[in-house]
Amino acid sequence: MKSILCSMHNRRKRFSRMRTAVLGAALAAGALTGCESSGSDTIVLRVSNWEEYIDLGGWDQEDLIDLEDGTKILGKENLTREFEAWFFETYGKKVRVEYSTYGTNEELYNQLTLGDTYDLVCPSEYMIMKMMREDMLIPFSEDFYDTEKEHNYYAKGLSPYIKGVYDDLSIEGEVLSSYAAGYMWGTLGLVYNPEYVTQEQAAHWDLLLNEDFYRRITIKDSVRDAYFAAVSIANLDAITNPDFLNSPDYGERLSEILNATDQETVDAVENILSQAKDNVYSFETDSGKADLVTGKVVANQQWSGDAVYTMDQAEEDGVELCYSAPEEGTNLWFDGWVMLKDGIGQDEDKQLAAEAFINFLSRPDNVIRNMYYIGYTSVISGGDSDLIFQYADWCYGAGEDEEDTVEYPLGYFFSGDAEDGAYIITAAGDQARRQLYAQYPPLDVVERSVVMACFEEEDNARINRMWTNVRCFDILRFFGIEKK
Amino acid sequence: MKRNLFSRKQLAVPYIIFLLLFVVLPLFVVLYYGFTDQEGNLSFANFLAFFTNAKTIGTLLYSVVIGLLTTAVCLLLAYPVAYILAKGAYARRHAFLMVFVLPMWINFTLRITAMKEILTVLEGNLAYHPFFNTILCMVYDFLPFMIMPLFNTLTKLDNQYLEAAGDLGATRAQTFFKVVLPLSVPGIVSGVTMVFLPAMTNYVVLDMVYNSTYIMGSLIGSYFSAYDWHNGSVISLILLLLIAGVTLVSNRFSREQEARR
Repeated sequence: MKSILCSMHNRRKRFSRMRTAVLGAALAAGALTGCESSGSDTIVLRVSNWEEYIDLGGWDQEDLIDLEDGTKILGKENLTREFEAWFFETYGKKVRVEYSTYGTNEELYNQLTLGDTYDLVCPSEYMIMKMMREDMLIPFSEDFYDTEKEHNYYAKGLSPYIKGVYDDLSIEGEVLSSYAAGYMWGTLGLVYNPEYVTQEQAAHWDLLLNEDFYRRITIKDSVRDAYFAAVSIANLDAITNPDFLNSPDYGERLSEILNATDQETVDAVENILSQAKDNVYSFETDSGKADLVTGKVVANQQWSGDAVYTMDQAEEDGVELCYSAPEEGTNLWFDGWVMLKDGIGQDEDKQLAAEAFINFLSRPDNVIRNMYYIGYTSVISGGDSDLIFQYADWCYGAGEDEEDTVEYPLGYFFSGDAEDGAYIITAAGDQARRQLYAQYPPLDVVERSVVMACFEEEDNARINRMWTNVRCFDILRFFGIEKK
Repeated sequence: MKRNLFSRKQLAVPYIIFLLLFVVLPLFVVLYYGFTDQEGNLSFANFLAFFTNAKTIGTLLYSVVIGLLTTAVCLLLAYPVAYILAKGAYARRHAFLMVFVLPMWINFTLRITAMKEILTVLEGNLAYHPFFNTILCMVYDFLPFMIMPLFNTLTKLDNQYLEAAGDLGATRAQTFFKVVLPLSVPGIVSGVTMVFLPAMTNYVVLDMVYNSTYIMGSLIGSYFSAYDWHNGSVISLILLLLIAGVTLVSNRFSREQEARR
C-alpha cells in the first residue's frame, strides 16, 4: 500500500498548504503594491492563468519531495516571485509579473475582446486555435526552440509524444506548435465508484444513459465535454468494431468522426443529451467531486487532473474511486501558453520575458512543484533530466512488500519510444485503474484519444443552439405535440 | 442657523451619478445589443427569434410558472402567519415576527445547501423531484419577503372595522373576505412584486437543487458565455418589459383599493 499511502500523504498536505499559501500570496501582493517603484527599466509582464494553476509556495517541511537521486524539492516562495529573481540573475534585467486568473476559456476570451490586455495567457487547445484564427497571437522566436541553449527548458524538456501532437495540429496553414507552448494536459473520462459501477460499465460513455443508475451520475455542464461524450455514444458501434480499430488510418478516422459537426450528428447529439438530461443527477460544474465522496452519485464525467484530486479526496474519507477513459475514445486536452499580439506587440524585452517565464515553469524542479501543487500533469517530460520520471515513480511506485503489482510502461511519453525499458513504473495493481492511470494514461488510451478541434463559427452556433434546446423546457413534448 | 447643510438638489447628486453610470448607461448598452445584429445593423431579428422558437417560449413559460407557483405558495403560507402576528393578542409580536424573518439574516446559498441535505434524506435522491424541490427552495428563500409587507399592512388595519362588521351581523368569514382581505391588498401587491419577479429569474436556486432546465436567467447566461450578446440582451429587455407590465398593473390595482377606502 505504500504507493497509495505515499500519494495520499503528499496530497493531503497539499490542501492544508493551499490556505496558508494563498494568505502568503495575498500578503506578498500587498507588500508589492506598497513599494511599487517600477522604473522604465523594469519589464512588466501581464500573465493571466487558470485559477489555482501554479504553485504559490509556502510549503511545510513535511511536503519535502525527496527523490531517489537525492534531489530535494520544496516550494518556498510563489513561483512568479522566484521567476522575477531568476530572470534578473540570468538576463540582468528587472521584470515584474502582474498575475491574474480566470475561470473559463470563454471568460478569458470575453475579457480580451472587451479590452483587457495581457501578454501571456494559458487557454485550452480549441481556444488557442480560435485565437490563432482571429490573428490574436504572435509566434515564438526561433531562439525559443533552440535546444542547445542552456535555459531553454521548454524546448529541451517537452515530451516527444506531446511535441508530435502539437506539430500535427494546424489551423489555416499555421502549426500550433509555433504559437503555443504546452503547460498541462490530460484526458476526459469517467470517475466511478467500483462498489456500484463495474469497470466494464465505466468503459463506455453510454454509462451516462444507463437507467440502472437513474439520477446517480453527473455530467459536466459544458457544451464541449457533453458534446464529445454524446458523439461517442452516437457512434458507439461504428468506432468500436474490430475492422475499424484495425484500419491503418484509425487515428485520423476516429478524429474525423468524433469531431463531426454536421446537422445529422448535432441532431443525434441533441437526442442523446435530452435522454441524458432525464437520466443524470445533474449537469454540474463543481459539485460532482463532493457528491461522489458522499455517495450521492456513483460516477461522473471528469477531466483527468480533477479525477486525480477527486480520488485523493475520496481516499481520505475511506472511499475508493477509479477513473476510466472510455473505449470509444477520449478527448485529449491541453492548456498552453500563448503570447498576445495586443500585449507584447513589437516589444522584444517583453517577448524575452514571456518566453523566459515559460522556460522557467518548464524547469524540471518547477514542473514537479506545479504538478504536486495542482494535481495535473505537465507536458514536460524533462529531456536529459530524469527528475520528472523519478517524481512519477516516487508518487506511484509500489513498495517492496507490495504483492499485487503491475508494470506500467510510460516510454511513449518520456522518451518517445513505447518499448523503452527505462521508463516503466512498477506500481500497485489498482493504480492502473486509479490515480496513475488518470495522471499518465497508458499507451492504449492515448492511441484512442482525439484532440477536439476548434469548430467553425457557424458549427459552433449550431452546437450552442442544440445545447440551449436540450436545456430549455420542452413545451411541445410537455403538451404531447409531435415534432416534425 | 442654517436649516439644511445641503439643498435637496445637492443631496440627490450622488444617487443620480450612480443611476446614470450603473443603471441608465448599461440599459443603453443592452438596448443597443438587443436591436442590432452581428454586423451592428439595426434589426428586430433577435426579438423575432425569441418569439418564434418553441424552446425559448417554453423557457419563458417555465419561468412564469415557477414565479406564479412560488408566489401562490408564499401567499398561502404567509397570510395566516402575518394575520395571526398582526391581530393576535401577543405582547411580543415583534419578537415573534423576528423568528420568521430571522432566516433572512443567513446567506441564502447556505440555507439552500442545508435544505439540500434535508431533502436528500427525505426524498432519497435530490434529483428525483427537481421541479418540486425548486418550488420548495424558492418558497423557503422568498417567504420573509411576503410576510413583512403583509404584516405591516395588517397591523395598520383598524380593529374598529372588524368590530363594525361584527355589529352589523357579518359572520367571521364574511368579515374576512369583505373587509380584511380587500383592505390588505396593498400588502399583497407589494409582497407579490417582491416574490414573483425574483423567483422567475433566480437560477442559482435551480442550479443548486440540480434542476437542469433553464429559466430566463440561465438562458441569458448561456447566450453570453457563447459570446452572443444580441440574443442575451433581447431576453433581458423582454424581462424588463415584463417587470414594467407587472409593476404597472399592480400599482393600478393597489391605487384602486386605496381609492375605495
